[in-house]
Amino acid sequence: MKTILSFTLGLLVLLCTAHATVDDALSYALQAAHPYVKEGFTVREDYWGGDLPVKQQKAIVQQLFKGNEYWFWMGTDVANAKISVHVYDADGKLAEAEYWKNKPHMAAARVVPKVSGSYYLIVEIEKSPLERTHWALAYGFR
Amino acid sequence: MINFSSTARPAQRNTANPGKFRPGLLSALLAACMPLCALAKDAEPPRSIDVGSLPATVVDEVVIPMPTEVFGVLDKLGSPNWHEVMRPVKTETLGKRPQVALLLGATIAEGFIAVEAQEPEDVKKIGRQVLSLSKAIGVQKSVISRTSSIIEAADKKDWSTVRREFDGALKDVKQAMIELEDAQLAQLVSLGGWLRGTEALTQVVTKSYSKDGAELLHQPAILDYFQRRLDGLNPRLKENKAVRQIAQGLPELRPLIEPAGNITPQKVERIHAITADMVKTISSQD
Repeated sequence: MKTILSFTLGLLVLLCTAHATVDDALSYALQAAHPYVKEGFTVREDYWGGDLPVKQQKAIVQQLFKGNEYWFWMGTDVANAKISVHVYDADGKLAEAEYWKNKPHMAAARVVPKVSGSYYLIVEIEKSPLERTHWALAYGFR
Repeated sequence: MINFSSTARPAQRNTANPGKFRPGLLSALLAACMPLCALAKDAEPPRSIDVGSLPATVVDEVVIPMPTEVFGVLDKLGSPNWHEVMRPVKTETLGKRPQVALLLGATIAEGFIAVEAQEPEDVKKIGRQVLSLSKAIGVQKSVISRTSSIIEAADKKDWSTVRREFDGALKDVKQAMIELEDAQLAQLVSLGGWLRGTEALTQVVTKSYSKDGAELLHQPAILDYFQRRLDGLNPRLKENKAVRQIAQGLPELRPLIEPAGNITPQKVERIHAITADMVKTISSQD
C-alpha cells in the first residue's frame, strides 16, 4: 500500500512538473502586477519566459524611456523557488529604485530611468527544488 | 487581490552598528546573526556589472515598446496636437505579404495615435483595417476578438482598454505568424509599427523641440535588433521593395540617435525624413 502511494505521489509530481509551463509562471508575474494596475500602470501583453537551472542568470536588453516609471514582475510556478530580477543601466550600474523578492512565486523591480536607452534586466533562479525552473517576466509602465 | 504594501518597498540594508551592543553579548549576537547576515548579503544585488562580459546569457528577443510608452512621455512634456499627427486610414490592402505585414504594424501604431487624439471613429476604422490586413496574411482568427473589443471600447471611449487591445492584437498576430512558421513576417509587423511610431515621435519633437523629447529617439538596442533581423531575412523577403528600402535606410538612423543627451533638432528632422519616407513606401502600391 505504502509503495503504491509513493509511486502515485511520484507520478503526480512528475505529471505536475511536465504540465508546468511558462504560462503558469506568467500567471504569477501578472498576479504580482495586478495591484499596480490600480496605480495606473499599463501592463504589456508581451513578456519574456523560459526555464533556467539554479544560480544561472539570463540577461534581457530592454529599451526604457526617461519620463516613464517601470515595474518588472517575475513569476515562477514553483512555490518554494526563490527568484530575482534586477535592472542595470547601459554602463552596468544598478538602476532600480526598489525591488522585492520575498513573496512565494514572485519577484519585482521598479525603475525610474534617468536616461532613455538600453537597460539590462538580469533574472535568476536563486533557489529551487527542481533542476530547471520555469520563469516569466512581464513589465508595466506609467 | 494580493496586498503588496508590506513588500513593495526598497530592500533594507544591514545597518546594525555593533558598537551599540554590550561587549558580553557581542560574540553570542554575532554568532546568532551569522545566518541573517549571510541572507542579507545574499539579498543584495551587485551595485554594478560588466556589460562587456555579462554574467548571463543574453535573450535575443527584444520587446518593442508600444507607441504609448513614448507618446505618454510626450504628453507629459507638452500637449502635442495628435490630430495633426494622425493619418487618414486606408481601407485597401496593398502589396505582397512582407508589405502587408509592415503595413499591419504601421496600422496598429496608427491606432495608438488615434487613441492619443481620442477619435473613436478613426479608432474603429483602424480596428477594422487591422482585421482586414490580418486576413490578407491568414491570421485573422487571432485578432477577431481583439478588434471587436477595440470597436466596443472605442464606442465607450474606454481608451485604456483600446490601448491594451491594440497591444494584444500586435502580440496575437505575431504569435499566429510564428505558429504558421512565419516568424520573419512577424518581425516585419514589429518593424512597421516601430517606424510609424518613430515617424510620429519625430513629427511631434520637430514641431516643439526639447532635449528630453529628442532623447526618446535614443533607442540603440531596438535599432540593432531590427538590423540583425533584416540581415537574417530570407532572400525572398529581402527582394520586396519596402523591405529593401528599410534595410538601406536603417543603418543611416543609427548614428543620428547618438549620443543620448544631444540629439539635435537637425538630427530629429533627418530621422523624421527617413522614417516618413519608409512609411510612405509601406503605405504605397508595390
